[in-house]
Amino acid sequence: MTTPMVQLEGVARWFGTGHTRVVALHPTNLTVAAGELLAVMGPSGSGKTTLLSLVGGLDKPSEGNVIVDGKDVGAMKPRDLAILRRRTVGYVFQDLNLLAGLTAAENVAIPLELDGRSVRDARHAALDSLASVGLGELANRFPDDLSGGEQQRVAIARALVGGRPILLADEPTGALDSMTGESVMRLLRRHCDDGGTAILVTHDAAHAAWAHRVVFLRDGRVVDEARPASSPDTAAPEMVGAST
Amino acid sequence: MSVRYGLLALLAEAPSHGYQLKSAFERRTGNQWLLNIGQVYTTIQRLEAKGLVEAIELDGAADDDRRDYRITDAGRAELEAWFASPVVLEEPSRDELTIKVLLATAARSVDLTHLLQRQRRASIEQLQAYTQRKAAADPERDVAFLILLDALIFRTEAEIRWLDACDARLRALGLITGEADR
Repeated sequence: MTTPMVQLEGVARWFGTGHTRVVALHPTNLTVAAGELLAVMGPSGSGKTTLLSLVGGLDKPSEGNVIVDGKDVGAMKPRDLAILRRRTVGYVFQDLNLLAGLTAAENVAIPLELDGRSVRDARHAALDSLASVGLGELANRFPDDLSGGEQQRVAIARALVGGRPILLADEPTGALDSMTGESVMRLLRRHCDDGGTAILVTHDAAHAAWAHRVVFLRDGRVVDEARPASSPDTAAPEMVGAST
Repeated sequence: MSVRYGLLALLAEAPSHGYQLKSAFERRTGNQWLLNIGQVYTTIQRLEAKGLVEAIELDGAADDDRRDYRITDAGRAELEAWFASPVVLEEPSRDELTIKVLLATAARSVDLTHLLQRQRRASIEQLQAYTQRKAAADPERDVAFLILLDALIFRTEAEIRWLDACDARLRALGLITGEADR
């Protein structure tokens, strides 16, 4: 594939020490390329959300290196991590996290305003981002006046505003019906077809199937991966990731 | 079964001959369910024998290929009853995968963790292939195809949920381990 946007090199995360140590993620190697939509599947407690938090700089690895857009996230100072989150990595959660007192456009503009852009600039970019998810007409609505699917599209617009290349999504379709969930998956896929990168954590196989590649986590290890049957390099799907 | 009702449904709209019925049936079902013409004629003959359709005698149209058929009143009643009744799946399911997992669970010598994961991977790859075709389809022009794909996608998704449930159930009993592939 092309340029790696996200690289995990022997990344592990554990909590506690000695006999009380709980391993959330065993040493894991994983590379996600620019233009790739990766889905991560696995039972509850398998380490999916830990993996996503490490990539997003919300958590630090116990060992190993997390390289995002060429930079070692584990070595970053809090200030640089904040810049990474504002400019490079956008998050979408199952719970929408939109601020009820702000309009759709104001919600989407927040990351840019935090980044020091003028209100006018930020609003302009927010409207562009909303238009790209098909919500240009609803920019001045408050979250309560939007459907669940529309709110989730606002959250995606906010995650991508200002051209952030990496989208991390944790069960973004969890609360949505199947057609609305599909429209969210089409947006994630389009982001990647346009050269962006996305990592999606989901229980939903039908939504994971929109991804170029699906990795399976189990007890904190990547145990397997799937690619579409028509993909040329799938003759012998290899085990990936974990050592020891 | 479904071909028979498919032909009846088409003939309920207008009289038609074998080749027209074949291509109309294929178009309606998303071009994924190809019929051979022999199957169409055999089905028509069975419908005719039961009095559900009848041949229209036209002057000089002795050629089987060009003979038009129309639905009878009995055929319309049969079709209406079919549309009006829900489809009940045979239970218990006798598909190969269900039987394989049941036998593997009893066998103990089979590695269930790998069996379930291999199947899960294969099913997800199948889902990815369906989804690629869905992504490439035109939502307005390819409605029949999309409805058919949705059916395949949801069936495969159900299979994966069942695999996950098997996994959790067997793991709770200690019949499979947490540590998968090494």
